[in-house]
Amino acid sequence: MANTDSPSQTHLFPPPASPPRGEVGGGTFRTTYGSVNPEMTSSMPSALPTGALTLRIHGQVQGVGFRPFVYRLATRLKLTGWVQNLSGEVAVWIEGHEDSIAAFQTAVIHEAPPLAKPTLGAVQRVEPHPWTAFVIRSSHAAEQPDIHIPPDYFTCDDCLAELRDPTARRFRYPFINCTQCGPRYTLIRALPYDRPNTTLAAFPLCADCRCEYENPADRRFHAQPLACPVCGPQVTFRWAHEEPSARLLSEVALQATVAALRAGHIVAAKGVGGYHLLCDARHSEAVQRLRVRKHRPDKPFAVMFPQQGEDGLAGLREFIELDDITAQQLRDPMRPIVLATKRTTSTLAPAIAPGLQEIGVFLPYSPLHHLLLSDFNGPLVATSGNLSGEPVITDESLAELRLSNVADAFLHHNRPIERPADDAVYRVLVGKARPLRIGRGNAPLEWSLPHALAHPILAVGGSMKVTVALAWEKRLVMSPHIGDLDSPRGRTVFQQVTADLQRLYGVTANTLICDAHPDYASTRWAKRQGLPVKTVYHHLAHASALAAEYPTVTRWLMFTWDGVGWGMDGTIWGGETLWGRPGAWVRVASLRPFYLPGGDAAGRQPWRAAAALCWEAGLDWHPDPAWVSDWPLAQQAWLKKLNCPSSSAVGRLCDAAATLITGLHHTSFEGQAPMQLEALAHTVNDAALAEAGLPDLPMPLVYSPLPPPPRGGRWEGGLSESTDAKAPPLCRMDWSVLLPILRNHRIPPAHRARWFHQMLIHSVVHQIMYFQMNQRIEFEAVGLTGGVFQNRLLSDGIAARLSALGVPVYLPTRFPCNDGGLSVGQVIEATAPMEAAADATAMEKSPLPPPPAGGRPEGGIDIVEYRS
Amino acid sequence: MSGNTDRWITLAHGNGGRFMRELIDELFARHLANPYLDVQTDAACVPFAGDLIVTTDGFTVQPLEFPGGNIGHLAVNGTVNDLAVAGAHPRYLTVSAVIEEGLERDLLERIIKSLAQAAHEADVYVVAGDTKVVPRGHGGGLYLTTTGFGSRACQAPLGMRQIQPGDHVLISGSIGDHGTTVLLAREAFGLRGDLRSDCACVLPLTRALWDLPGVRFMRDPTRGGLATVAYEIGRATGFHIALQETAIPLKPPVQAVCAMLGYDPYYLACEGRVVAVVAADQADEVLRRWQALGDLGHQAAIIGDIGSSAFEGVVLVTELGGERVLDELEDDPLPRIC
Repeated sequence: MANTDSPSQTHLFPPPASPPRGEVGGGTFRTTYGSVNPEMTSSMPSALPTGALTLRIHGQVQGVGFRPFVYRLATRLKLTGWVQNLSGEVAVWIEGHEDSIAAFQTAVIHEAPPLAKPTLGAVQRVEPHPWTAFVIRSSHAAEQPDIHIPPDYFTCDDCLAELRDPTARRFRYPFINCTQCGPRYTLIRALPYDRPNTTLAAFPLCADCRCEYENPADRRFHAQPLACPVCGPQVTFRWAHEEPSARLLSEVALQATVAALRAGHIVAAKGVGGYHLLCDARHSEAVQRLRVRKHRPDKPFAVMFPQQGEDGLAGLREFIELDDITAQQLRDPMRPIVLATKRTTSTLAPAIAPGLQEIGVFLPYSPLHHLLLSDFNGPLVATSGNLSGEPVITDESLAELRLSNVADAFLHHNRPIERPADDAVYRVLVGKARPLRIGRGNAPLEWSLPHALAHPILAVGGSMKVTVALAWEKRLVMSPHIGDLDSPRGRTVFQQVTADLQRLYGVTANTLICDAHPDYASTRWAKRQGLPVKTVYHHLAHASALAAEYPTVTRWLMFTWDGVGWGMDGTIWGGETLWGRPGAWVRVASLRPFYLPGGDAAGRQPWRAAAALCWEAGLDWHPDPAWVSDWPLAQQAWLKKLNCPSSSAVGRLCDAAATLITGLHHTSFEGQAPMQLEALAHTVNDAALAEAGLPDLPMPLVYSPLPPPPRGGRWEGGLSESTDAKAPPLCRMDWSVLLPILRNHRIPPAHRARWFHQMLIHSVVHQIMYFQMNQRIEFEAVGLTGGVFQNRLLSDGIAARLSALGVPVYLPTRFPCNDGGLSVGQVIEATAPMEAAADATAMEKSPLPPPPAGGRPEGGIDIVEYRS
Repeated sequence: MSGNTDRWITLAHGNGGRFMRELIDELFARHLANPYLDVQTDAACVPFAGDLIVTTDGFTVQPLEFPGGNIGHLAVNGTVNDLAVAGAHPRYLTVSAVIEEGLERDLLERIIKSLAQAAHEADVYVVAGDTKVVPRGHGGGLYLTTTGFGSRACQAPLGMRQIQPGDHVLISGSIGDHGTTVLLAREAFGLRGDLRSDCACVLPLTRALWDLPGVRFMRDPTRGGLATVAYEIGRATGFHIALQETAIPLKPPVQAVCAMLGYDPYYLACEGRVVAVVAADQADEVLRRWQALGDLGHQAAIIGDIGSSAFEGVVLVTELGGERVLDELEDDPLPRIC
């Protein structure tokens, strides 16, 4: 121990007049306080100590109010000694009665604050030292403490109990919180994390709150967002059509909100990270009205359920099928939205998720939500209060401006939201809950880098579902979901978050990392900053984000499947197989490319992908003229390759399948076509396909270079285009074999949808087996990433097949596999060590051997020639 | 080759000899004849008074003829329009033609005739010219370069620096007509009877505003279209520009073609439109005057305003109340979201 406290020097708390710079509990900051206040230590126990122990506790113990908890526990058990933060762990000295010591060892783990995940490390019996009290020692002086910005925490059980206790001061107070719970990321304005630097600055503490704030034995000791009905923020309710002055306050406002919801009205309610639009989830007409007003015809709404029953999930079970993983994820401290399957008997309005069996469900996580949900006593649609793709609205005036045509009423509150945080979203894929969106509850997300960086860098993600990542030394911090950058608000929030992250962590990036796409708003922004910029290709970033999670794997076969990304050959990638590791990826296979008529227009018009495949294969197909009357012009343009970029994206293949199978021509949100196709495929099982006698037709691998396609067009991006000797040969998955069955209307749509998923699964397995047999492509594990793998049927199916074959397969668990994960991947890829890059060159020089004569190597994997 | 000099332009037409003289006399001088054009001299001498406003512009278009015009119209109107939106009264033009060997003589004549007619309609004199012939494969049929001279006529000092928050943005007619028409013509997609280039002289539109002190800035939205003009204003002034999607005139066939081909009409060229930024209190007057000009201005509309919002740049407010940033065009649009 560097500093041994003598019994007379137990002065480790600051005097009340000068509060510590940094919170001891609920958030964690530079805990550099070290001044003294003897009055605030616990009193000396009456009995003589009969034993003493030192303990090391690690796990998630910093920034979660763990030391105040240890202090309270030791004091309660009348133990003396001290607790101290060391770097990354907590050291404790306890002495007193043996039974108290034993009780302490159990309780320190089992009664730990909900946000703490302590693990007991080394325990040593030591000679008792006549400590007079139990104290919290200052952090190890030699350490430069790291800054951690905590996420916004869900309401803890203690606060929830108080919220419901009619005798408590904060009975039904919507802003109750303590060191264990409450908002953090969304209200911190600056560091050090003291109340004046939060959005609570405008609310001076009343005498009662100040007492709690200054009492180390209180769970509100230095809870910066501390508030009560006397001194804290308040909610107000008003009808959208009434004068702004006609406001109802506090309890009356809450009751008015619930009454409005019961009457089928839509209420825009300000929460922790932004506004939600709320309505009765069982009220079909209300939900439909919300859809019409929000101009959101199809995209699913999330539903919040009251926390009921022993595990809090009783309210959900009536409507939702809950497996253990989903149930556990719903109760995770981040309280995310989790996609779960509706019961067939569910009385939720069908319009919540048209055409889908799964909906996003979550539990209340703030006291305000708890009050609304328990008063309403039923599920509420709780969708982000925003316009499609934009960051969630946080500001009262903007809410009134933008949502006045959507909401019938507003439930505002006057605790400002410093920066938006949409709710985090998870889906159970391959046996684990995996993030689709990082947000309120788990952002900012921390990650340890494998190598220390020489300079701080900032990666700015892609164009949709944008997150940014700041990295310095061995740390990486990822922002919450910002949204799409097409809107001015998206851009404004993007700039605010990039600036805030650097300011709050005290780190200034001197290099920026962006996508290689020159027209992404994030790329353009990066190039305007006057700093060195490194570009990272979209799919390399996807691959590296996943690779970062499994650092022991040194050679991957990485399937990066999504809807679009600028590829290294100037074509649109999205069905790529990358071999290697961060800094050393080689593209070894892709989907056979096709020309997509209308470019970006294909994003909301899946018929374009269907047309592209059929026309490319020489088949006669056109969209339903009832939907698309002018299609001959699109075909003319396609023939001349006018605004028809070449794409190898599996996301577009899924679009094409959806159109050919279900007749879906237009969609209103990204991913709608594949989501509905997956939902349709879930309605039958594999056995039904076998009964129907549908053939097993994995996409054959076509060996590059490809002969020219039929109509005198040319391949782009294939080897026929490139004579660069360094370019490795490519295998292309030829989708054309799928068309006869996708187009066969005598086969029921559900069967075709299921079959299509099966064939994608087979195609992956097929490709892996081919590469396994190919001695030049060695890999330790298969990775699946990119937005396409949000598809559970596909991911689970591939994982099951590969597990049976003994091939390790990984999907992301920490970062979204969609474009939300790009920022992290950009950091990993751009900072991969130099030796890896040298390795890539070596790999490029050892191309795949040509396909064997006759096209049928050992093992029965077909390598077929492409024929027009 | 020489036997074809009646039907095709050959290298002989550019070698300084008889063929060249005949070409100039028979095509250029004949159609462009005016008191100040003297093919015998190397430079023109013309009367002039007032502040000189000069501009120059090169023209290339494929195909050379398209529904609603040809490169000859473009070469005059493009330069005249540049003068007009600068607040000038266009007076004189010079023309330089780079002709590719093999160009059909009749086509060239049609173009020169159109050029002459456009100059006549704009009341400008072509006072000097030059021709060159380049070998086959070295030019897209015909390149024209025109230089225009005009005198300051607009009372208000025009320029982006005059623009102030609160000003309104107006456009004199529908967008994307020229860009869409030329695109379809170039790709030989067949005629669509309802689509024509808007190629026209905008002088009547600008002349109508000469006496209005509230006119801040005018620009003809050619390459890059309306979006690019708006972007340049935003970039130069640092102001926020909000354009209302529903207010922007867009002909249904243009909209339909753009939707089908995946193009954004806001970035497609116009050749006979004016974008004006005008003090708010005079916007209605500008609108009234433009709409009184018949075909040239009957679709004129107030399409947006200049603001001082925190977001610097151009925002398109969509029909549903959404907001989309209109960025600078880097190149041909690359797919981003599909």
